[in-house]
Amino acid sequence: MRYVDAGYIVAIGGSFLYGLSLFLRRRRWERALSVKESTPDERPAVAEHP
Amino acid sequence: MSTVNTSERPVRTPWRPRWLVVVGVGAVVTTALTVWLGLWVTPPDEVQGNLARLLYIHPAVATVALYWAGGVALLGSLLYLWPRTRAFFWDRLAASAVEVGAVFSALTLVTGSLWGRPVWGVWWTWDARLTSTALLLLLELGYLALRRVPADAHIRAKRCAVAAILIAIDVPIVHFSVDWWNTLHQNGTILDPGFNLHVHGSMLWTMLLSFVAFTLIFVWLLAMRYRIEVLQDAVGDQELEVSLSERWNEDAELVGVGGGPGASGGDDGRGS
Repeated sequence: MRYVDAGYIVAIGGSFLYGLSLFLRRRRWERALSVKESTPDERPAVAEHP
Repeated sequence: MSTVNTSERPVRTPWRPRWLVVVGVGAVVTTALTVWLGLWVTPPDEVQGNLARLLYIHPAVATVALYWAGGVALLGSLLYLWPRTRAFFWDRLAASAVEVGAVFSALTLVTGSLWGRPVWGVWWTWDARLTSTALLLLLELGYLALRRVPADAHIRAKRCAVAAILIAIDVPIVHFSVDWWNTLHQNGTILDPGFNLHVHGSMLWTMLLSFVAFTLIFVWLLAMRYRIEVLQDAVGDQELEVSLSERWNEDAELVGVGGGPGASGGDDGRGS
């Protein structure tokens, strides 16, 4: 049965891992888009130090 | 630098369409049922024994790689090349289908290999079906590499559409390879060329369910990949600008910490 089990793990696990990678990539690009779309006023003022 | 039609820009996050949730839940349920039926409920095959259980997975994965992904990629590419229907939607859809197809082509080769080792006695042989499927994977990887070559968005889309059509030429070769050549790979698993059923009863239903499961997985993955394609195009040209802006902010922060001239004046470091 080990070939059978390996086949199921590869097919379903591979699909799951690829789906997970897409989910993470989507989140990264959504974050990049929100950074891009934020106006300069909305961005954190990094130069304001005491 | 590529330019993109920004009229197709996406709405801001979160993006969770109801139909995609339904597809995702359906994919999980049908996949779980396929595993349960395939591993525990269906009887062993009288010739192959338990190894036949791999056939509840491998043909469905291959169907996605070959027909669903190949079909969507071809359709998207043709509709992009056709001037009346030209829109970036089709280009993105084709690109998404090719990437998902590449993953499933690789899974097809691995699951086929796991079945071939105990049945044929080899992990790999230069059989027409196997070789043409490996060629399909290489062509898909070539497409993805071509897509990363910097170019104007329309030029890139045209190049990729032509590449996808070349990939699609390999699909019927893979399909008919078992008929055209005397191969080690078996003919149709469910139907023979005369459309007679080879599989019956619970084995047939499990196999059909696996096709539904992997089709739903494909739709979900395709939608997710398409969304990324939209986001990439939306960020696109502005990405460099954002990176530079962040770099300027970092510089401004360093100047601020060091008590430099930019700190007291409230300069945000971006310049005019």
